[in-house]
Amino acid sequence: MFKQALLALPVALALGATANAQNAPEDVLQGLIDSIDSSYLTQSEMNIMMMPDSPALWLIDDGKELFHEARGPNNVSLESCDFGKGPGVLEGAFVEFPRYFADTGRVMDFESRLVHCMKTIQGFTDDDPAIRTKHGNAADITKLQTYVASLSNGYAWNPPLDHPMEQAMRDAGEVIFYRRAGTMDFSCSTCHAATGKRIRASVLPNSNVPEEWTKAVSWPAFRVGHDNVRSAQHRVGECYWQMRHAEPVWGGTGMTAIISYWNDRARGQPAILPDMKR
Amino acid sequence: MFKKTSLAAGVAAFTAILFAGSYVVADADKVDFTAMSAEELAEYIILESGGFHLDAAVQEGGTMRARMEQDDMQKACSVVGGGKPDAATLEAVRTAAAASITYPEGGIKLGDWQKGRELSWSGFGFRVGHRTDEHSGNRQPGGNCANCHQKVGDRDGGTLGPDLTGYGKARGTSDAMLKYVYDVIYNAHAYFPCTQMPRMGAQGVLTHEQIADIMAWLLDPESPVNQ
Repeated sequence: MFKQALLALPVALALGATANAQNAPEDVLQGLIDSIDSSYLTQSEMNIMMMPDSPALWLIDDGKELFHEARGPNNVSLESCDFGKGPGVLEGAFVEFPRYFADTGRVMDFESRLVHCMKTIQGFTDDDPAIRTKHGNAADITKLQTYVASLSNGYAWNPPLDHPMEQAMRDAGEVIFYRRAGTMDFSCSTCHAATGKRIRASVLPNSNVPEEWTKAVSWPAFRVGHDNVRSAQHRVGECYWQMRHAEPVWGGTGMTAIISYWNDRARGQPAILPDMKR
Repeated sequence: MFKKTSLAAGVAAFTAILFAGSYVVADADKVDFTAMSAEELAEYIILESGGFHLDAAVQEGGTMRARMEQDDMQKACSVVGGGKPDAATLEAVRTAAAASITYPEGGIKLGDWQKGRELSWSGFGFRVGHRTDEHSGNRQPGGNCANCHQKVGDRDGGTLGPDLTGYGKARGTSDAMLKYVYDVIYNAHAYFPCTQMPRMGAQGVLTHEQIADIMAWLLDPESPVNQ
């Protein structure tokens, strides 16, 4: 603990102390690597080395600024947004998604909740670039998400299942995860139900090993091959494209069910936020 | 041949339940998810709720909806939590798979291993969405073999499927071996019911000619796979 704090100190200083000062993302990953023998976690030495200089870290600062700035037609900040732990409570909020919200009557993943607040509090509409632009480093949604996610770095995934809707979405997500369909008969489990298997050169994470799976679901992450920070929804979309399945609707019921199951499978293991991926 | 008739009947029955059932409230959009089983809710989410872009056109004609509706094999072999269905179900899958296989006129022959090499490596085809694979004269769907199978040392193959390095060396090119390899590529469920291997022939991913080329890549003594 003491050693970790010492290690984290320079990082916290470098980031202007905006990130969770407990731990840097690379320290969380190292802790996982030390806890389990996993060729998935260790597959890219280069990425592990680059993590302290991840471009995603810059988005934290951009996102923080955007979050607290009075914006949108209503000229207010997002400080009154309730991410499930009360208005304005951001520490540890990200790892407790997806979550049921009484004000919308549905289970929402983090990104959907963020967009909901930008619309209802700040007055943005679907046509505004702030909402319409969903991909890449330049998107407000990416910056805001990376900021709030960073405040859950090192926190154990703990998506609530107390509400029957949360349990229903998680359970449907599990069925969807194992549901074969499409031209190639694939399901998510084709690639993510065994340890140490590869698609070509890439080692795949096993959803049955929480210490591996936490890295798999730790988005936002800087995706080296894309030279951009990507979100969980973007990753789900990529998988569905490769599976030759239909694309899940952004913020839709399919996305929410899948991410509910994803995050539940990482339960208890610390999130790496933001992460760096191949 | 796999038919969607039983599935269609199931969906029709389900839809009937849906609209007669207790979980439908006044607002048609406000279906009570908690009153459904996980399986019912998954079907509802995928096919009825607007959670997926089902209207997207697909390369084989028609729309994504048809791809997302499961056929008999897909339904039988989707086991939540992993594992295989019971022996009777496996036998039914195997029998149906064997019946699905069609053979080229003039019998099974080895094609061109060099074409097979490229087909084996190519992961192109049938992807739809952000970027859609446009099947055209010079860019036809590939076999995706290397995604899951190692075959030669010079290109990294995956490990989800068995290592096929030197596959033809020990097996030769007897008629029985040609038929076996053809069948496995066409519809591997005929030998390994509920395998993860895609049904390359039965699903129309590869033509008879392309299968012959990939077979040559695997079995031809000249192929680098067997060097």
